Amino acid sequence: MVPEYLISALVYASLFAMMAMGLTLTYMTTKVPNFAYGSFVTLGIYSSYTAVKVYGSNPYIGGALGFVVGALVSALMYLGILRPLARRGSSLVSLMIATFGVDIGFIGVFGVYTDYLQYNLGHIDSPQFYALPDFSLWGYSGVTFAAPLSVVAIVLGIYLLFTRTKFGVAMRAAVENPPLARVLGINVDMVTTVSWMLAGGFAGYAGALLTLQLPAGTATGSNLIVEIFSSSVLGGLTSIFGAAVRGLIIGGSEILVTLGLGLGFGTPGAVVIGVVFLFGGILLIRSKRLRSKVVGIIFAGFGVWIVADMVAGFPVDFMSYELVNGFGPNVTPFQQAIPLLIMVVTLMVIPQGIFSINFRRLLGRERK
Amino acid sequence: MSGLPELIFFGIDWVAFSIPFIEFYALYIVISLSLNLEFGYTGIPNFGKVLFIAGGAAFGGAVAGRLAAYILGVGGNEDFITFNARIITQVNADLVNDPVLAIELVVIALLVAALVGGLLGFLASYPALRLREDYLGMLLLGVAQFFNVVLRTYTPLIGGSQPIFVPDPYYYWSTLGSGVRDLIAMIVMVVFAIAVYVFLEKVVRSPMGRTLRAIRDNEDASAALGKDNAKMRQNVLIVASAIAAMAGALYSFQVGSVEYDTWTRFAWTFWPFLIVIIGGVGNNSGILVGAFFFTLVLRGLEQVQPYLQPYIFFNVNWLQDLLLASLLIIMLYLRPEGIIREKSSHTLNKGVLGKITGSKGGGKGDEAPGEGRLSRISRRLASLFQRRNVQTPTDQAEASKKTG
Repeated sequence: MVPEYLISALVYASLFAMMAMGLTLTYMTTKVPNFAYGSFVTLGIYSSYTAVKVYGSNPYIGGALGFVVGALVSALMYLGILRPLARRGSSLVSLMIATFGVDIGFIGVFGVYTDYLQYNLGHIDSPQFYALPDFSLWGYSGVTFAAPLSVVAIVLGIYLLFTRTKFGVAMRAAVENPPLARVLGINVDMVTTVSWMLAGGFAGYAGALLTLQLPAGTATGSNLIVEIFSSSVLGGLTSIFGAAVRGLIIGGSEILVTLGLGLGFGTPGAVVIGVVFLFGGILLIRSKRLRSKVVGIIFAGFGVWIVADMVAGFPVDFMSYELVNGFGPNVTPFQQAIPLLIMVVTLMVIPQGIFSINFRRLLGRERK
Repeated sequence: MSGLPELIFFGIDWVAFSIPFIEFYALYIVISLSLNLEFGYTGIPNFGKVLFIAGGAAFGGAVAGRLAAYILGVGGNEDFITFNARIITQVNADLVNDPVLAIELVVIALLVAALVGGLLGFLASYPALRLREDYLGMLLLGVAQFFNVVLRTYTPLIGGSQPIFVPDPYYYWSTLGSGVRDLIAMIVMVVFAIAVYVFLEKVVRSPMGRTLRAIRDNEDASAALGKDNAKMRQNVLIVASAIAAMAGALYSFQVGSVEYDTWTRFAWTFWPFLIVIIGGVGNNSGILVGAFFFTLVLRGLEQVQPYLQPYIFFNVNWLQDLLLASLLIIMLYLRPEGIIREKSSHTLNKGVLGKITGSKGGGKGDEAPGEGRLSRISRRLASLFQRRNVQTPTDQAEASKKTG
């Protein structure tokens, strides 16, 4: 029997991988970080809720619904708001503020919808609800299989799309060099719209799956934005497979590190180890040799993890957090420190993401 | 022992309406002005504004309560968080007889808030100097979101999910009748807002203000002219964050408590951005207009709410979010520069200019009849350039005129 925390880490990681891939897609095509992206996860959450609780259907049909709703709303957001603004010549910051505004709009939309569910249909738990029922297979819940399999399917699908289809190649061209792609007769607008649709769809689907594992509510997606950004940034905002890998790492590390390390070392030992690693890592990063720099990054990251684990040891009000934020008891609130610290360290040290490190040179196979 | 008078026109008590209105207006003026210094003048999109405000409010409130309890000897060895309500009630009762301590508390809390805000601004300047706008936005938004989680779950500071009360320095006034306390709190807030406005207006009109715009518009040019862009950005973040943190501390005194759920990125990052966008990016007087318009929309909605609610199946509060979001998008589309455009920087006054140009309004012989002051200055500047063998754009234009 696989321990419970490993399973939740696996599911969590898979969900983040999907979300990170979506955000990276939009960033690659439009070069604007979408601050409203968390709300697309919430769209999926309520698609699933509606399918299961209102229409009494299967949560996986809710997942499909989440994909469709997310994709449609995302396309609408791009075509209705971002594209007109960009054509008008708005700056990057203006577009960022606009996506921020869209996020606020979503708060209103979710509020109206949950009020409708509450007062008109009598679903009093709609603003905050516990994990939805799932089927079980060999003693594990269905989402344990569904989430990782979906990630594999999506990665495979995108790989095939990018390498085997004309449209995918056009997409890559449009990302690399939009003016040149236009000259070659590629409809860049169309490509961008499709990538926004895919992004919204991934977020919606991930949100729908999330309802099977964790309690969720109107603020859940919006609160996940730290992890989503962190996963995307770490993958390098320009690499979609990097996003998938980092999403897996972030999601997994959040749960495994906070739970695992605390059990292994005990608090005082963990502090000492963490601080030693952190300082050693910083010293190494400052050195001139690239190899020791990277070892330093790994050491510092490890130290930060352990220190963050200490942070997670602070007195924690589990119940209220669970109700307010919609996370399960397995998830300590301070675990958000881990993706955040990872994001800070990456942005400061390797702003292009892990895929930008020249691993050959690191291994010493290639001389300067 | 009577409270404030009532002034009722059109079914609204204008005294009761305008006190919270002005309080809110002043608060958001301060916050938006500080954001405008960062975003409008220097070009740092601070998407983590709430972090600095909440930091000031949390530390200011937490320190003020503990300090007051310690000085007044209230509570003894009792845990400040657990017995918070009892301790603060006792502190408030004692503060009535000690107005000096009440004033000191406000000042100390403001200082603590400014320190915390400045420190946070200093920390934020580290990424702000190194990252592009989009990465910086994501990072600050993430940090602010995490800080909210810290406030919610780290109980020793402000009680986590159980909010703590803050000693009420205006408590004496509440014994004089209903509404008097709020009036005094409002006056303090307004005075603070005026001070901040005057200070920031001085800053942006100074040579430093012009440097900030230069950094925003063309980093390389300002660096070429010998300006230390990084240092300037850092200073701006520290000062603006300290101001925002002080506003947060004043706000916590005004409402009498610090709670984690007050500090959402919507109310304290989005709304200030909205005000700056409505009023005018890079324009302090525009902020006054924008904040007024925004407050009017928000408070107006509150007034209309009870009349609207019976006809709508959902909570009318949600309309506020939808309305503000659409307002932002429409503003960005129709008039991204705001209601009042950014003005060109303020130059020297006429007297000083006259001295530089060597004339005091009257003719000095070297000007053509009917020539305006500006053209005179430009001609003198042109002759200066000619002496140094520098070609001015006007020279080139004239030369091309002659040849063409």
